[in-house]
Amino acid sequence: MASLSNSLSIAVQALNAADGAITATNNNIANANTPGYTRQVAILQEAAPTNEGNVSIGNGVMLEGYQSVRDELVQSQIQQETQAQSGANAQLASMNQIQPAFTSSTQDIGTQMSALFSSISGLSTDPTSSSARQAVLTAGQNLATAFNNVSNTLTTQQSSLNTQVSQDVSQINQLSQQIAALNPQIAQLKSTGQDGGTAEDQQDELVLKLSALTSVSVTQTDSGETLTTGNGTPLVVGNQSYALQTTNGSNGMTQVLDQNGTNVTATLTSGDLGGTVQMRDTTIPGLQGQLDTLANQFATKFNTIQANGTDQNGNAGQNFFTIPSTVAGSAGSIAMNITDPALVAASSDGSAGGNGNLAAFSAVQTTQLSSGMTPGDSYSDLVFQVGSLASNANAESTATTSSLLQLNDQLASVSGVSIDQESANLITYQQAYEAAARVVSTIQSLFSITMSMGTAAAE
Amino acid sequence: MRVTNMVPDMQYDMQQSNQALNAALQQVSTGLRVNQPSDDPTASANMVTSLAASASVDQYTTNTSAVTSLMQSTDSAFSGIVTSLNSALTIGTAGASGTENSTNRQAQASQLQSILSDVIRQANTTYQGAYVFGGSASTTPPFVAASTDYTSAQGSAATPLSATTALTAGSITTISDATTGESMEFKAAAGDTIATLQAQIASAVTAGTLSAGTTATINAAGQLDISTNNSSDGIVVSSNDAALGAMSATAGTQVANAYAYVGNSTVNSVQVGDAMVAATNVPGDQVFTQGASVLGAFSGLINALQNGTSTDIGTATAAMSAALTHVSSVRVPLDNTLSQLTSQQTYLGQEKVTLTSQQNSLVGISLAEAATNLSQAELANNATLAAAAKAMPQTLLDYLK
Repeated sequence: MASLSNSLSIAVQALNAADGAITATNNNIANANTPGYTRQVAILQEAAPTNEGNVSIGNGVMLEGYQSVRDELVQSQIQQETQAQSGANAQLASMNQIQPAFTSSTQDIGTQMSALFSSISGLSTDPTSSSARQAVLTAGQNLATAFNNVSNTLTTQQSSLNTQVSQDVSQINQLSQQIAALNPQIAQLKSTGQDGGTAEDQQDELVLKLSALTSVSVTQTDSGETLTTGNGTPLVVGNQSYALQTTNGSNGMTQVLDQNGTNVTATLTSGDLGGTVQMRDTTIPGLQGQLDTLANQFATKFNTIQANGTDQNGNAGQNFFTIPSTVAGSAGSIAMNITDPALVAASSDGSAGGNGNLAAFSAVQTTQLSSGMTPGDSYSDLVFQVGSLASNANAESTATTSSLLQLNDQLASVSGVSIDQESANLITYQQAYEAAARVVSTIQSLFSITMSMGTAAAE
Repeated sequence: MRVTNMVPDMQYDMQQSNQALNAALQQVSTGLRVNQPSDDPTASANMVTSLAASASVDQYTTNTSAVTSLMQSTDSAFSGIVTSLNSALTIGTAGASGTENSTNRQAQASQLQSILSDVIRQANTTYQGAYVFGGSASTTPPFVAASTDYTSAQGSAATPLSATTALTAGSITTISDATTGESMEFKAAAGDTIATLQAQIASAVTAGTLSAGTTATINAAGQLDISTNNSSDGIVVSSNDAALGAMSATAGTQVANAYAYVGNSTVNSVQVGDAMVAATNVPGDQVFTQGASVLGAFSGLINALQNGTSTDIGTATAAMSAALTHVSSVRVPLDNTLSQLTSQQTYLGQEKVTLTSQQNSLVGISLAEAATNLSQAELANNATLAAAAKAMPQTLLDYLK
């Protein structure tokens, strides 16, 4: 049977519900700018009615709890896109360091190569001129230096990427530990039907940070999230994290091993670590190899021609350039072998004033090396590749950034906090609270009147 | 869609807009559309090729100018030689007259000797330190007064050279004959001795390269002695063989009016275009000793004036006339080359303009286009900032007062 006490109880429950909703709203507003925060809503449920005969009367509202509003699918897409973006960014940053070395300038390889051929051509007009001979040596030295500088840029970049690999692995291990530590807490909450709430937000944020470092596959299990790398190497299973290890490879580069000691470096394809490994182990060695081949073939050709000619002292030409016995390292260590201008083997007939051999030097400019391309075309191809790699990395970075922005918008449309919406909710719950308080006040008044009914009659 | 926070999108938009503005500013300040390979990989690669072509054209232009100067210097020498030959021809024609007495002819012979000296001076013309008529042997005078006898520095009575004295492998001994106008070059091989050289000289005499009677013997002082047996046959001998030492003319054996060519027949070439090579020198033997020999004509005419009859002088004058014709014909290709070089200079100038234009279209940007791009980027940037400024402060709270 309905009573004032029952009404008071309903009003108090309404006060609690409004208070709880205000608390949720307050928490949302407080965390509006907190990275990874998922907005919460108060779960209000109508209390079971009281049935009196044919009359059923409501019993107010119940605050059941709080629920974080999540979209696991979009969250997963963001993780994947973050991996792609970080990989592209790592490659872009590295290419941006490399490509100035291949940009047309007064010091680039192409310009210095042209300068060497120009100096040789200039010498042909006056083969006995010491200054013209010195100009050839200077141009040769400048070209060797240009090769050395570009090679050094690539080597330095590779070295700093190698350091980055160790740093990334260290961060991955740290994040894996933190994620594993949260798994039992979340599993326990979910086992009791509760929302993962703050712990789950933290875990999602940590997984996102991990995604920025490497390719991660996430599987939901009863014991929490299981994380593996792209090739299935486990990182987190339940409350256990599996640290990746590093070791020095035979090439002097840091290799990444799984918990069993298996080398997984080549399987790392995305995230900062994937992009870094891709640049360190594939892109830079590819460019370096082509540069070494060009330097080696160019120097070999010059040395052969020099040997076929006669220097100003009437002797067979000595090597023009010094290069290592193997192609590898040629660009880094190419240097001038001759330093005396008289040793330029300009003559083909043994006479000091002959210039017949210079034509052979000049012909190198338009002759295919054993690579099938002229020296100029080889370098041009290298410039194209560098530009193309940097451009592709930039396009990939821009595309993933844009895509990630849209996905974040999509996630925010579900999980994000809208100050406007929360403000409106606040007013709604404020009014609800005020109304419930008014009911309590009214019932209190009714109680007073009711209590005073007996007193008035006695007087 | 439920929009909760516009800031990330606005920040992205502002970032994009700033990047576009920065790129437009860079275009205006550098005048380049492509500032690094990633801006346009294909254009950057083509630019490498174009810049190399441009550098080649620059060098071809420099070469053309240098070769032109060299050829002009050579041509100037030719002019002097032609003038000298015409003077010689005039003297010869006068000397051939039956009315000339012996005294006049001796005087004319003296004049011719003076002209010959002038011709030799012209033949030893240098340009920037190089002898233009020396072939590729341009570091020493190509025409040298000849002598009948040369002896080696090595060898003495105490330690005489002999036929079995070994020569240094790779050494070169050259005998240039003023009379035949030819040279014999002997490059010693391993195991060669002075006897080998002697045999080579004998073969050259048989072949007519060296004058008859030219021999190499070991003299009383133990030295190698290379000599002719005719006082009018002069030779010039040089050697870099350590066993022989330097060869020097014996004092008092110089042959009057005899000059040997010690240069070579190599023609140096210089590239002045992708498909054009210019010869930079005319070897002296082609001009002075081969064909209608200039030096032979002088020697013959001087000798005829000193000792011959009017008929001899007439014959020698005709030889001088033939030598003049020969020199003029040798000069023709030189003049043609000079003309081609002038045309090439013009062509290279046009080529440079074409390449510069190509480079501008590859990586450059016109000021008008760059300015327009900048203007558009500024407009877009202003709009983005204005939109952000308008939208960002707007919340429901502004209206709940």
